[in-house]
Amino acid sequence: MQDLSHKEVVLRTVGLSKRFGKRWAAKDLNIEVHRGDVFCFLGPNGAGKSTTIRMILTLLMPTAGSIEIFGINLYKNRHAVLSQVCGIVEKPDFYLYLSAYKNLEILGSMTRSVRKEEIMEVLDVVGLKSRAFEKVKTFSHGMKQRLGIAQALLTEPELIILDEPTAGLDPQGMKEVRGLIKKLASEKEMTIFLSSHLLSEVELVATRMAVINRGELIAQGSVSDLLDKEPVEYSIQVSPLDSAIELLRKLPWVEVLSAEDGKIELRVEPGHASELNRFLVSNHIEVLSFYPHRTLEDFFLKITEGTSEI
Amino acid sequence: MKLFWLETYKTFSRWRTYISFGFIALIVIMTEVVMKLSADEILYRMMRSFQKDFLIFGNVLNGWFITAFIMNSLHIHIPFFITLVAGDIVSSEATAGTMRLLLIRPPSRSKIITAKYLTTLFYTTGLVIFLALICITLGLLLFGHGDLMMNYQSKLRIVFIPEAEVPLRMLLAFTAAVWSMTVVASLAFLFSTLAENSIGPIIGTMAVVIVFLVLGNFPFDFFRMLSPYLFTTYMIFWQRFLDDPIPWQEIARSALILGLHNIGLFSIAFVVFTRKDIKS
Repeated sequence: MQDLSHKEVVLRTVGLSKRFGKRWAAKDLNIEVHRGDVFCFLGPNGAGKSTTIRMILTLLMPTAGSIEIFGINLYKNRHAVLSQVCGIVEKPDFYLYLSAYKNLEILGSMTRSVRKEEIMEVLDVVGLKSRAFEKVKTFSHGMKQRLGIAQALLTEPELIILDEPTAGLDPQGMKEVRGLIKKLASEKEMTIFLSSHLLSEVELVATRMAVINRGELIAQGSVSDLLDKEPVEYSIQVSPLDSAIELLRKLPWVEVLSAEDGKIELRVEPGHASELNRFLVSNHIEVLSFYPHRTLEDFFLKITEGTSEI
Repeated sequence: MKLFWLETYKTFSRWRTYISFGFIALIVIMTEVVMKLSADEILYRMMRSFQKDFLIFGNVLNGWFITAFIMNSLHIHIPFFITLVAGDIVSSEATAGTMRLLLIRPPSRSKIITAKYLTTLFYTTGLVIFLALICITLGLLLFGHGDLMMNYQSKLRIVFIPEAEVPLRMLLAFTAAVWSMTVVASLAFLFSTLAENSIGPIIGTMAVVIVFLVLGNFPFDFFRMLSPYLFTTYMIFWQRFLDDPIPWQEIARSALILGLHNIGLFSIAFVVFTRKDIKS
């Protein structure tokens, strides 16, 4: 398990709750995001992701609980905190009658004075420099999404909050945005908090994650830690098959589920994956393929107990 | 101040903002040209009730008179043009989704709503000044100048204001007109903070203005009792600057009542906006 005790907590929510009428959209959320994380907030549609993000960005007032960003209470020091935070909530909407450049100039200057070079630089980062002076109404959804990231980057915030940043994008657009997120985290050392219901996306970019369902937090930690807590099913191709099955049945941490067509399906207790491979090789079993069925999707479906609408 | 200029820039970057200016120019030009072509008939109608009793010399149908006439005629139209922007300035951000972008920035909601309100007042002032400039300039060009004759039929009075006094009186009258129109702007602005589309605030404001005007003008005792409680009653106080002598006390009272309306309407808008959850 990764030791996070030394890492600075950039965002902390304590008992964060929001009620709409009688329904709790978020209930007693205790989330910690550490500096440098690409923290993914995962949950099915309607789980409370957007509500939580809206509270973190002061669009919704919490019913209870508190939010600290950089160790400062958000609602008591809103200006100071939000000077270092930026984000996109749901889809990136802009002033369609203004150019990309003018949109960024207006939005950026609400935080601090921005120079023309800075605007052009972020437009370059997201690949929109050549369209800088065109009206946003001529942009595709993907271009608006990239412009949304550009406005989030413009004032060089320490924490970027992105609500479903790849929603509505085509596969190429999704890949570009994912690449950009990774680049921001690694090259610019920004902390990124993003929500998504796309599990494949989370696996590709996240370092840590939290899972929310029906407004309640049901898991939180590094992606690998969360997945390693559960037994994992493997599909292996070995030779000779019969000897391998005989050997595997002797192991207390392995359960052989089936064996057919030269392939063995088995379930392995957490933390024994590499040991299994070594064991087979040392017993002169040739391992032709070793394929884990452990996926974030399995984990997610298991802990949300089939309530997911993804 | 920076937020105010950003809001002003956004407002004046939209073509919708210029609809009002365009229509006002069109109405004024059409009215003045038609009046010029029908000058003899208008003069006859103006004078027929009292030409037996008075001898009137000079250019009565002059640019100042035409300006006062148009101001009198546009007390429904100008509020409508004001609501086009005032009713849209907050709600359009909610409709377009840009409200989210604004409110996650460091400036507080109170600063943002105040900047938007100041922009609304700036636009309202600009619109009335534009009306004044186009009315007076075109009026003086087409009809020339002279003393201003005001016929207060309801009071059976005719007032003549010497030409030397007219520019100052007009300045005061248009300042009062700006003050009156800010109440319409404040009402539309309040509705704009409550709605998430622009049509509702525009229609809502116009409905209130028209209903209040109708109620205030019914010639029955019940409605006369109601009249002091309707802000539209005080909106024509600009006319008092074209009276003789100027009824300063009545003007001060009307201005104060309209000012209190502005404070009240903006305070409600302020509280609503700073406390509301942004769900869209």
